[in-house]
Amino acid sequence: MGLLTILKKMKQKEKEMRILMLGLDNAGKTTILKKFNGEDINAIEPTLGFNIKTLEHREFKLNIWDVGGQKSLRSYWRNYFESTDGLIWVVDSADRRRIGDCKKELKGLLLEERLSGATLLVFANKQDLPGALSAEEIRDALDLESIKTHHWTIQWCSAVTGEKLLDGIDWIISDIASRIFTMD
Amino acid sequence: MAGFKDLNLDEDLAVGRSSRADTRFDTTVGHIEDIIMEERFQTLQHDFKEKYYHHFTDDEENKLIYTDIFKEYVGLVENYIQGELKNRISGFSMEDFSKTLENRHDQIGGDILDMLLSFTDFVAFKQMFLEYKSAKEGTGMDFSDLITIRSTTSLRDEHQGMQIDPDSPREGPSSNR
Repeated sequence: MGLLTILKKMKQKEKEMRILMLGLDNAGKTTILKKFNGEDINAIEPTLGFNIKTLEHREFKLNIWDVGGQKSLRSYWRNYFESTDGLIWVVDSADRRRIGDCKKELKGLLLEERLSGATLLVFANKQDLPGALSAEEIRDALDLESIKTHHWTIQWCSAVTGEKLLDGIDWIISDIASRIFTMD
Repeated sequence: MAGFKDLNLDEDLAVGRSSRADTRFDTTVGHIEDIIMEERFQTLQHDFKEKYYHHFTDDEENKLIYTDIFKEYVGLVENYIQGELKNRISGFSMEDFSKTLENRHDQIGGDILDMLLSFTDFVAFKQMFLEYKSAKEGTGMDFSDLITIRSTTSLRDEHQGMQIDPDSPREGPSSNR
């Protein structure tokens, strides 16, 4: 391990968390990020690269990475796994057609060694849309109950209205904090 | 009696060993400071920016290629520092230094630590490129007027008694004659 990597790892012990937000395209990842950061969410274009926001929340510094979800971009996700404390998987609850894809991609991520220590939060987003599957239906469709390798939860939300975003973020922070910061 | 003597000796050895380690640690940190302040390192950074700045745009969204460039940058800086340390300290071991670092990283000066950490900070990295690009292309904020005004003023102040034409501050007194 190189000098800079070592220094960075030491620094990160100080109440900093790295959160990686992934999901299929059009799931609402960037909208969640911006809404949570209090920014305008009109006219958000599909993400072709990635966004980063550093937010202060509950005495923690959250570095949130939001990477584009289009099929052609998914092979690049691996470049963002390193040092991830929490994975937020965002689901478009109204996209019934692609729920199978959604399950497959998530399963793949959970096998990644570099994500093995990450807490998983699933956001069942777009609950404001008619015909959206409930969080329970998403949980079953993604077979979340079978996950034994990661701490996980599912939270319904609406990025557009902002409902329940904070509940999800609070949960993932608490889970990460209880795993990481009590060990010293 | 032998036991007492042995004990003493052990203690001396322990002290000797730890102060040697202290010196070694301080020397290494001093070298790191030298390395990243030297012109050669600035040149290394400059060449790297020159090679890649055209990829960067002042958009909030980052291009995927930034990540590749960032990885290359961290590797370059890291290898350079480590290579220089090996050149300057005979028998330098990164592994040993790393172990010491874990206990003493708070003993590195704040400025030097911040600078080292800034090499691994993606946001700072992107900013560095955007600044380079805007300086290079003359876009964005232009500080050159500000600098000119200030330097002319100070020249005039310094040389007021020498009757230099303030409009041509570059000409020395001899060429005026």
